[in-house]
Amino acid sequence: MKSLLATLALTTALTLPGLAAARPVTLTTTLSSYGGDGAYLALYVTDPSGAYAGSLWMAGGKSKYYEHLTDWYRATGGDTAQVDGITGASVGAGRTLEITLDLADALFDAGYTLHVDAAVEDMRDSPNEVAVPLTTAGAGTPVKGRRYVSSFAYDM
Amino acid sequence: MRKTLALLVASTALTATLGFAAWSATRESPRPVAALSEDGTPALPLILISDDDDDDDDDDRQGIWRGHDDDDCDEDDDDDDDDDADCRGGARNPAPAGSKLPPQNGLFGTGAPPQVQVN
Repeated sequence: MKSLLATLALTTALTLPGLAAARPVTLTTTLSSYGGDGAYLALYVTDPSGAYAGSLWMAGGKSKYYEHLTDWYRATGGDTAQVDGITGASVGAGRTLEITLDLADALFDAGYTLHVDAAVEDMRDSPNEVAVPLTTAGAGTPVKGRRYVSSFAYDM
Repeated sequence: MRKTLALLVASTALTATLGFAAWSATRESPRPVAALSEDGTPALPLILISDDDDDDDDDDRQGIWRGHDDDDCDEDDDDDDDDDADCRGGARNPAPAGSKLPPQNGLFGTGAPPQVQVN
């Protein structure tokens, strides 16, 4: 009985941190009024070495346009499995995309960087439109993109 | 009789003058299509249209999206309703959010579906 209780306590102790090791994070991307069609956006993360770690969101459902999200496409080879279940519609000029995701705590204060690639039909592609280090201190601080994103912030 | 002759000469002269002027005009401007628009502005250039729609020469992968019809997965290129299913012979479109759990890439915690809104 004692060993059973000990095992139970141990598994609980091991499981609880795992459950708690994630938090809801809201990514808010506001586009400028650039006067074009809806923008395709790829939100993804690179690890401390700069290698692609995974995708967080894809705005724009047609994979034939993904090659214009240049850096994301180069990192993934355009593999649509990377964005299965995390894909939504493209975002119109002047609109704000707000995504809330349950993200692993391990991503914060560990050298990971969140990137946004952007592309708009008949306009220039904008790889690495936004690149922000994921830190708890940086949460809630808006940053400006290079071409289409007027402001990007993550809150938790 | 003299009067008739005078009239005949005058009408012949008039006809010859007008005819020569008209003939000269057509000789000086051997551009029948362009002549239609000659009102002081330069004529529009004639554009020969090819049936070859390949526009690779001006597609520098810097943002020109039109012309992707070679790998089109749907019939209407302009809609963006993101409800395209898999297509044959082309790249598969990803599963939209809510239809599938997020990928197991280690970035997501419990696998809860993302919440999204556009304002």
